[in-house]
Amino acid sequence: MENFDLLLEGFSAALQPQYLVFAFLGVLLGTAVGVLPGIGPAMTVALLLPLTYTLDPTAALITFAGIYYGGMYGGSTTSILLNTPGESASIVTAIEGNKMAKLGRGAAALATAAIGSFVAGTIGTVALTLVAPGLARLAVQLGPADYVAIIVIAFITVGALFGSSPSRGMASLGVGLFIGLIGTEIVSGQQRYTLGLLPLADGIDVVLVAVGLFAVGETFYVASRLRHGKVQLIPVTRGWRSWMSRDDWKRSWRPWLRGTAIGFPVGVVPAGGADVATFLSYATEKRLSRHTKQFGRGAIEGVAGPESANNAAAAGVLVPLLTLGLPTTATAAIIITAFQTYGIQPGPQLFTNQPELVWALIASLYIGNVILIVLNLPLVGIWVKLLQIPRPYLYAGILTFAVFGAYAVNFGVVDILILLIIGILGFFMRRYGYPVAPLVVGLILGPMAEQKLRQALQLSQGDLTTLVTQPFAIACYVILIIFVGGGLWLKRRQARFEKTFTEELAIAPAPDAGGDLAKRDTP
Amino acid sequence: MTADPTPTERTAGASRLSRHIGELIFAVLLFALGLYALIGSFAIRVPTNAQVGPTVFPILVSVILLGSSSFIIVGVLRGHFGPAEEGEDIDPNAKTDWLTLAKLTGLVIAHILLIPLIGWALAAAVLFGGAAWSLGAKRWWVALLVGLVVGLFIQIVFGELLGLSLPLGPVLSWLGPLI
Repeated sequence: MENFDLLLEGFSAALQPQYLVFAFLGVLLGTAVGVLPGIGPAMTVALLLPLTYTLDPTAALITFAGIYYGGMYGGSTTSILLNTPGESASIVTAIEGNKMAKLGRGAAALATAAIGSFVAGTIGTVALTLVAPGLARLAVQLGPADYVAIIVIAFITVGALFGSSPSRGMASLGVGLFIGLIGTEIVSGQQRYTLGLLPLADGIDVVLVAVGLFAVGETFYVASRLRHGKVQLIPVTRGWRSWMSRDDWKRSWRPWLRGTAIGFPVGVVPAGGADVATFLSYATEKRLSRHTKQFGRGAIEGVAGPESANNAAAAGVLVPLLTLGLPTTATAAIIITAFQTYGIQPGPQLFTNQPELVWALIASLYIGNVILIVLNLPLVGIWVKLLQIPRPYLYAGILTFAVFGAYAVNFGVVDILILLIIGILGFFMRRYGYPVAPLVVGLILGPMAEQKLRQALQLSQGDLTTLVTQPFAIACYVILIIFVGGGLWLKRRQARFEKTFTEELAIAPAPDAGGDLAKRDTP
Repeated sequence: MTADPTPTERTAGASRLSRHIGELIFAVLLFALGLYALIGSFAIRVPTNAQVGPTVFPILVSVILLGSSSFIIVGVLRGHFGPAEEGEDIDPNAKTDWLTLAKLTGLVIAHILLIPLIGWALAAAVLFGGAAWSLGAKRWWVALLVGLVVGLFIQIVFGELLGLSLPLGPVLSWLGPLI
């Protein structure tokens, strides 16, 4: 009940007109940037970070909540309407919405994605409201050794489960940890790995790394193999009536709920993020559906379920983020950076020290969800226009804005140089199949890991067994083994599933323009 | 489906080889970074009273880097390559366009050098216009014009109205007192 009162207080803060404007702007900008092709949620958040520099903390966090949900949602519009394969991670789900659009049911696909995102986002936020305060209370009692265990879980799962191979993920994590080492060490005050260079003495700003990897690295990577020629969009019939038929509703509501039920827990535990959630939901829907044959040719369940799972996972990710200060995805890592910019350290203390702020943030998540659905369906026309931006201008804009963001950190040109170097690193990582998310997570969590590790060992007088003898820590390591084992098994299943599935589709005569799908699938 | 190579695959054979060599070099560089982290940790002074000095974590990091990069090097030598990332605007059959990458890198460096000389907005216009032109915008002057609008917009909104200290430069210095 006490939490409910706090939530109401949060609402009364977040519903103030000026904050409503910020929530609105956040959702609008987040969706607009998220819709742009090639820009995932992590890059959306990284690119829009400088926008919030001039705001007060509450306004900034509320804007961020909007950007986060908007950016998460924006991508689905892209994959439904753009006539090219979407992100490889969600390729099966991208195909489904894309096929629906080609059959002239794009409006229904967009609608089920939007409503599903709303349902999942709202239920996910309710679950967050219920789970987070209790977890925070529990987390206050955790000692340094327990934290080390939690961080090790995050490291190993993020490193081993993101990307094409565990060794590449761990290498990416290692680079992030190394970048985190650069700078002045807190306890003894000496510089480490700065090469005696003054700009490195304070360490490398996380914003530079995030923007460099996601915006500059991605721009360089796209530039190296840009698809030239006209942007091909699938036309969508306008008008309210074509959105969703009664049958569409009937086929959508269960996948929405199931997607939410799958997505939220997957988001809470560090088990590979939204990719795993969307895949699980898709596989579940395919098995349960009475229209199994339609899957791969535009089954609405295949859009409704995974899209909800994606957004529920986005809400779930906020649980460890707010209660433990633990980012489990790249997007979460950048959000932590945004918090830290304002001197706010997410973690168990946050709920007791700054309750107004947390609850205003949670309330704005509810509000953001409502704004999202109110905005998105009517604004589809604008999103379509955004998708048509000529690519040279789009990527020139991303590059310019990224450089602006880097310059705005300290107003020193040396930051732009660091940004460029990290951008080039990001380019090569993408080129050679290294995931970039573990790097960002490693960079954020590295300093925290070192601090907790040293605290733990200081307390135990250097006795290493302290790390593995606490009951909580033991539980963590057992869970870790289950996660990594289960996660790797899931990933193998996902790869096999996608392979057989695309083969199935390529062999079977497709009712529509299936030719380009077959072409796309040839390795 | 995997058995017979498509025509594009055959012609791309040469560039594929250079890509594999590049992948090997990148993995070796990661190994070198791990070595540097390890060697650098010996240069860190350890306070006498510390149970766990400031070198412990760097050594752990170097172990992660050395271990994972060794795995990758062995894998690459055995023919296990990382799949390049995919995306909506990426043509999977295109050859790597190094010239454009060089242009973009040069433009960012030019932007860095130009900010103190001609102010932020104009330097941003050069960056935007140049980048759009490098990426294939048909008319360079439209690209530059759009860049000028973008640069001025950011300068006025963020620099003048929201108070971020973006240098105006000699050409636009009259703008400051105006707003």
